[in-house]
Amino acid sequence: MNAYSRTVVLEELPSGSRARIVEIIGRGGWIYRLYQMGLTPGVIVDVVMNIGRGPIIIRVMGVEVAIGRGIARRIIVEPINT
Amino acid sequence: MSRSTHKKEYEIAIIGQPNVGKSTLFNILTGRKARVANWPGVTVEVHAGETDFNGSRIKLIDLPGIYGFSTLSLEERIARNYILSGRPDAVIVLVDSLNPERTMYLAIQALEMTEKVVIGFTKSDAAHAHGVHINYDLISKRLGVPVVPVSAATLRGIRSLLRTTIDVAQGRTGRKKPLRIDYGELEPYVSSVESLLKQYEDRMEYPIRWTALRLLEGDNDLYKYVRGVCGEDIAEEIAKVREEIKRIFHRDPAELLAKKRFEYLQRILGDAIVRLEIKKGGFERFTRLFYRPFIGPVLSLTILLGMFMIAFTINTGFPLNILLDSLGMHDAASAVEEYSIGGLMEKLFSWISSWIINSFGESWLTDLVANGIISGVGSVLIFLPLIMIVSLFLAILEDSGIAPRMAVSLHGPLSKIGVSGHAIFPMTMSLGCNVPAILATRAIPSRSERLRLLMTLPFIPCQARLVVILAFASSLVSGYGALLVVLGYSAAFLAFAVVNKILYIYEKKKTGRKEPEIVLELPPIHRPLGKVLWWHVWDNSKHFLKKAGTIIFSLSILIWFLVNVSPSLALTDDPGESLAAVFSHYLSPIVYPIGIEPGKAWIIAFALLIGFIAKEAVIETLTILTGTASPQQALTLLGLTASQLSALTVFVVLYVPCIATIAVIYSESRSVRHTLATIALMLGVAYVAMLITYGLSLII
Repeated sequence: MNAYSRTVVLEELPSGSRARIVEIIGRGGWIYRLYQMGLTPGVIVDVVMNIGRGPIIIRVMGVEVAIGRGIARRIIVEPINT
Repeated sequence: MSRSTHKKEYEIAIIGQPNVGKSTLFNILTGRKARVANWPGVTVEVHAGETDFNGSRIKLIDLPGIYGFSTLSLEERIARNYILSGRPDAVIVLVDSLNPERTMYLAIQALEMTEKVVIGFTKSDAAHAHGVHINYDLISKRLGVPVVPVSAATLRGIRSLLRTTIDVAQGRTGRKKPLRIDYGELEPYVSSVESLLKQYEDRMEYPIRWTALRLLEGDNDLYKYVRGVCGEDIAEEIAKVREEIKRIFHRDPAELLAKKRFEYLQRILGDAIVRLEIKKGGFERFTRLFYRPFIGPVLSLTILLGMFMIAFTINTGFPLNILLDSLGMHDAASAVEEYSIGGLMEKLFSWISSWIINSFGESWLTDLVANGIISGVGSVLIFLPLIMIVSLFLAILEDSGIAPRMAVSLHGPLSKIGVSGHAIFPMTMSLGCNVPAILATRAIPSRSERLRLLMTLPFIPCQARLVVILAFASSLVSGYGALLVVLGYSAAFLAFAVVNKILYIYEKKKTGRKEPEIVLELPPIHRPLGKVLWWHVWDNSKHFLKKAGTIIFSLSILIWFLVNVSPSLALTDDPGESLAAVFSHYLSPIVYPIGIEPGKAWIIAFALLIGFIAKEAVIETLTILTGTASPQQALTLLGLTASQLSALTVFVVLYVPCIATIAVIYSESRSVRHTLATIALMLGVAYVAMLITYGLSLII
């Protein structure tokens, strides 16, 4: 099975879901901040809250982080069934 | 004792990621005797403090809270350059016990730069309550670095941390060499860059392996440096290695290296940390409301507004007195006003003034002391309680973890004017004082947003301007007074929004940049530490008292002389003949358009001029110039109409806040042009807004 067949962007994940980061697209300062906060491919994130507007709240490495939707659109994830 | 013969001075740096509790620990270690040190190269505020321990003198340097050592922000650059300068004898890296998996990333990076590291685990007392159990010895053994659990709340481990740090500084414990992480399949590339650099080892200021890693991560600052030291050819070779990684792994090397570091960290921490699931508290669930649309922003704004209402009421009786008055409870209203802290202090100062004149007789000296210094300094000092209360509220928001949630809730509305949720910290701080607010913009990741904020934050009225607004308001009939306060703040936030929006649209056209973005850590909600709150309050009060004791005190004397001495240097009773009058005569035309007659215009113009130095001084200038005891009397004597007062309020709120703010805008932007543009912008906006206000108020 193609590993990329089930990927979506972080922005589309509903509250309470869990996913593994596949790729972060783009460049610029933001991406380094994401790496420093532990958002690298392979890492598992939990979506604490995503209500379709405003920043998405995720939990990564035990810490809650608010992420703007523009950035969340550039984070490709693979949902994990829980 | 043999120890005392070893007496030596050590310079120790403290670093840590944001929210790990670094400032609190620094204050405990130094006994709150920190001072601001000027930094070589860049004039940037860094706190330094000293402490004695077992006969050694320890100088502690509090570096800014950072997530890593890239050169993403000014703060990261400062921290990195300092650690690499070779000046610190040891580096204390603080790690959050509640969240070691992420916060230890900084420790790992520090260890790649230097072997002289001690790791302190903060909040160790709270770890158990949060279900986190850490095997400190195992982590220490695996890394070869001393690990000390500490707690700011119980003071556990503080002495042990200092003792261990000195041991590391003396080379008696800890690592002998920087940490060498195995980067697996990337190692061949790292070594090839290392060998390219090796030939220039004598000329390089930085460790070779660290430099190689950072170059692969795409560090532009370092790349320029290496090009200068090793020449164009070597730099190009290195760039090629980087490109090759990208080609083969289809990934940014920075991402690959960060991932390897976190994997390494996982191997170190994996079985050394046990987490038990603990149920979320009810308050934690309540804070989720901040993330909801509509409810979130409303909640945040209600908190801010409520905070200021309570502070105002305690200090000046406003707006409770107006509420009672409108309910027909006139006695209660005047009691609230009279027995507010501000009212009581005002009584005290006017009592002292008249006591001095009564007991020492009327002479120019008693006039200088009573009507110059005491009423000048007094008219500002009555606002000390206000400053203490507002500082306390802001400290609670910050220390409890509510502040970042407010930032998230207001990100949506703010991004409409081109500002991200990150801006809420400097904005809220601006309501207290613009100077720390401008320093706080350093944490904003977007440079263009930061530069816009440097220009527009000073529109937000600080407490000094609040002092002026309240004084103006006190001279109006109560209901109108309240309106004047509302007008002042509305004008300020309107100017802030409009100017930001215009600058943002202009920038978007020029660079095609998209919406403001946010990436913000939300630390767990917790009860703030009493002592930390007190530190915040005391620091702000001290700053204010110092200002009242130095700047306001000297200004009071200066103004008294300018007002009581004529151009021929003789004492005069008529302020109209004084130096101030002659001098500010030339400035008076600026207030003619709002219908102020020439006889009084110079008084206003002079007060506005003095206001450039510090805004509180506007009030004391008016008080001294009119020879009255309180701002209220001064304004009554001037007989300004409500329209004129409104126009002046808007001008005072919007024009250049003070000399200190201008200085810090310059030191942060490092640009004379940017600073002058800010001054011109503020004066222009303030003047236009003043004219509009006057015009509108005449129509109404």
